Amino acid sequence: MKSDYTRYDDERLIGLIAQLQADALAQLYDRYNRLVFSLALAIVNDRATAEEVTLDVFMRVWQKAGSYRADQAKVTTWLTHIARHHAIDVLRRRAARLDQYAVNWDDASSNGQSSQLDPQELAELSSRRTRVHAALAQLPPDQRQALVLAYFGGYTQSQIAGILKQPLGTIKTRLRLGLQKLRDFLRDEWEIDDKSVEAQSAYNISKEE
Amino acid sequence: MSDDMHVLDLLPAYALGSLDADEASRVEKHLLSCWICRNESNAFQAVAEQLSFTAPVAVPSLDLKDRLMQRVQTARPEQHILQTPPRSWLERLLPVWGLASFGLILVLGLLNLSLWQRLNQLEFIHRTAALVTAPGGMRAIPLNATDQAPGAMGFVVVGADGRSGAVVVDGLPPLDESLEYQLWLIRDGQRTSGALFSTDEKNYGGTRIRAPRSLLEYSAVGITIEPAGGSPQPTGVQVLGGPLFNP
Repeated sequence: MKSDYTRYDDERLIGLIAQLQADALAQLYDRYNRLVFSLALAIVNDRATAEEVTLDVFMRVWQKAGSYRADQAKVTTWLTHIARHHAIDVLRRRAARLDQYAVNWDDASSNGQSSQLDPQELAELSSRRTRVHAALAQLPPDQRQALVLAYFGGYTQSQIAGILKQPLGTIKTRLRLGLQKLRDFLRDEWEIDDKSVEAQSAYNISKEE
Repeated sequence: MSDDMHVLDLLPAYALGSLDADEASRVEKHLLSCWICRNESNAFQAVAEQLSFTAPVAVPSLDLKDRLMQRVQTARPEQHILQTPPRSWLERLLPVWGLASFGLILVLGLLNLSLWQRLNQLEFIHRTAALVTAPGGMRAIPLNATDQAPGAMGFVVVGADGRSGAVVVDGLPPLDESLEYQLWLIRDGQRTSGALFSTDEKNYGGTRIRAPRSLLEYSAVGITIEPAGGSPQPTGVQVLGGPLFNP
């Protein structure tokens, strides 16, 4: 008897992966390989490296699924948290950073969408992306720039200050105000504070690894 | 805790992972004891994670999934849900003793022997010890945990004539309803299903073994995770196993 894994939600799949069901991992990969790969590619800016990061993320899910807590974190939050931190670790091990970033929040239309995406997935990701972009669009450009360097570049505040040739205090203010405003914009949109424990849980899970 | 000790101003940068090491350490230390800042930190981290959705959509190579599944096949899962928390030597010993006792109760029942019902606990333990070690009699054969389930343990209990048997396990978590543990009897390299069973919330489980031959004719046994209802041949990961007899 073969289970139909497509009918299981994300949390159920993680439970099955924790029971070493490789087909469940395959199904989770089908759902979120683009999300993980896109994030990794935006950070490391190299397809081969991004694919290695993607493999590592799903292997970590395979090995650590038992530590996932569905009541504390969404699966997508867990995945993106692992992916971002792993990609930034890879980035920091490089001798030289890239000057160009794949992410350009100043032009949301540049974030092209692949025709290879499943229509439903495309709709969901597009909707989510559109709302975050709309929130970002309300930020001053210098705050967006600081957020890009911090989130996708993996730079510390001191490093960002050096790159942008701005006082450290100025960068701290930009990051603080930028994320605070995003929080205010998205709070109305998603009631995000209700889900606030997710990210911290994902962080805690990651730290246990 | 007084307000001037809070780290609220650092939390956005902390959520973005852009604090310098000393500041990050200070925040982490503070969060351990301050629920106000911890809640704020949670909220900022939730916002920061949303930025992942702004990455331009890209599609990995088509063969990446195959590469993943190949890695899964060759990897040795280290810390899995099947692993149970470390226990003291006494705690580890008690389930083994309990397993043997439970298994023997099953076999006694299967053999229509009800003497155990009349035994008090001391007598039972004494009798159990005798039966476990009785040469040529009923045997409780320990199973070995695989790397997939390092905290598991179990016994196959076989009656003296090999016609009755039972399996009892500990340290195997309850499975999703779509899955069951399946016991395989191995003879001349051929695997025959001998039992399907589940475990309870305490990770214990057990059932009678049904085999077309005397259990004395099988050289080994294994337990795998299979779809509910069982598989014709093993398809899932093995969690327990070990040698039986030399037919």
